[in-house]
Amino acid sequence: MKNDLPAMFAILIFPGGLSLLLGGLMFEWIDRKFVARLQNRKGPKWYQPLADVIKSFSKEEIVPAGVNAGLFIGLPIVGVTTALVTGLYVPLFGFAPSHSFAGDLIVVLYFLSVLTLTLGVAGANTMDHFSLIGATRTLTQLFSYEAPFMLALLGPAIVAQSWQINEINVYAQNHTWFLFSQPIGFIIALIGLMGKLELPPFDAPEAETEIVSGALTEYSGRGLGLFHLGQDVEFIIGITLITTFYLGGLANPLEFILKSLGLLLVLTALQTLAARLRIDQTVGLWWRIGALLALIQLIISIAIRKLI
Amino acid sequence: MQRRSILDQLKSWARVNSPWAIHYNSGGCNGCDIELLATTTPRYDLERFGIKLQGSPRHADILLATGPATLQSIEPLRRIYTQMPDPKYVVAIGSCALSGGVFHGCYNVLGDLSRILPVDAYIPGCPPRPEAIIYGIVALLNSVRNSDQKITFTSDIELDIAEPVLFPRERGEITQPNRQPHADRYLRRES
Repeated sequence: MKNDLPAMFAILIFPGGLSLLLGGLMFEWIDRKFVARLQNRKGPKWYQPLADVIKSFSKEEIVPAGVNAGLFIGLPIVGVTTALVTGLYVPLFGFAPSHSFAGDLIVVLYFLSVLTLTLGVAGANTMDHFSLIGATRTLTQLFSYEAPFMLALLGPAIVAQSWQINEINVYAQNHTWFLFSQPIGFIIALIGLMGKLELPPFDAPEAETEIVSGALTEYSGRGLGLFHLGQDVEFIIGITLITTFYLGGLANPLEFILKSLGLLLVLTALQTLAARLRIDQTVGLWWRIGALLALIQLIISIAIRKLI
Repeated sequence: MQRRSILDQLKSWARVNSPWAIHYNSGGCNGCDIELLATTTPRYDLERFGIKLQGSPRHADILLATGPATLQSIEPLRRIYTQMPDPKYVVAIGSCALSGGVFHGCYNVLGDLSRILPVDAYIPGCPPRPEAIIYGIVALLNSVRNSDQKITFTSDIELDIAEPVLFPRERGEITQPNRQPHADRYLRRES
């Protein structure tokens, strides 16, 4: 599908902006509702994430003593902005991305990391011990899952011989799903996404029972709401990326949404199954097993390409 | 009741539908806390109302306070309340928080949370059942929906909340806060 929307519309309403935010909130609700059903309870109402965000925005924002006020106020904005920019380069809801250039895969992955990076810097900015520990853990986790996740998305890119998300999509659409041709890469990408989103087995950075709520401990009101929105956007972008890479590229919107919902339910089920890992266990898991398996997958796909 | 603008209505809708709570026990026997934690389990499912138990006072809207407020704990209690961003509400849970309960008249307790905090809802019981706690919080939310008046609260107790010293080297001094105030300052003379 050729995308020739006006630039402002693309930025504010459809692939970026509003639809991305609402989609992210919807995905968060489905996630929470499904977790609730698996725990045998009714769960939140459908507008719960929206109410949370509006409430956060309507509250007072306290700038604590001992922080750099400019950074404290600016970092959430930078985080949300970088997360929203990625919406322009991924095929949201199965539509072709509105903008595309050679190498945008790297840019999207970089922008997704910037959100986590701002979270870490925001935590390190405050004087609070909990947010300091949370920031350390956030950044440690960033360095551990980033390499395997990157390698896992590199597999399809190398087979499709392109660094452009759009071209990889087209390649994936016309060949067997990468889920079947590169199963190891799929699993690593899925679990890497869980690490990126700080979902339960990898939620040591915001472990409520140990360090209050990690890097965001001192944030209230607007900043908290913005980081919350940023994480929701990262959620939908991550799921869209994996769906489009491993589950058969572009499709019509209904089919694509069904695929990404299926992926979301798998992620949610994994969340409720696993208990929290310690931060050293997370790092060990990623570097000892994750990166190794992803490398093996990569070598296999390169070798097969050379042979054929 | 005067007409409110759409923005105000939206704000109060969000406020009612997403109350995040923080829990503090000011020196009770833990009975209420066990009931409160039972309330947050899947059996009673507080997430239906959007209620989430938060660890940080900065994220919370409702302070769920239990216990009779011992003299040791009133400073942290007031400090947690001060750290919460506006608008904020206080729910006193259990007989102790209402009147001192079984500790009424003890030398080391204040006995009534409303003497140091603007309490919005009281939930009696020793301890109150989870159903009672949910009922109390929902009653508070209903009253929030119908009005957004500013509550003016004055306490008859002067509290010195210790200023945290962030940069002791730069300031060149380390001030020791008065950690053990004398009981007479807080207890009402019964004459």
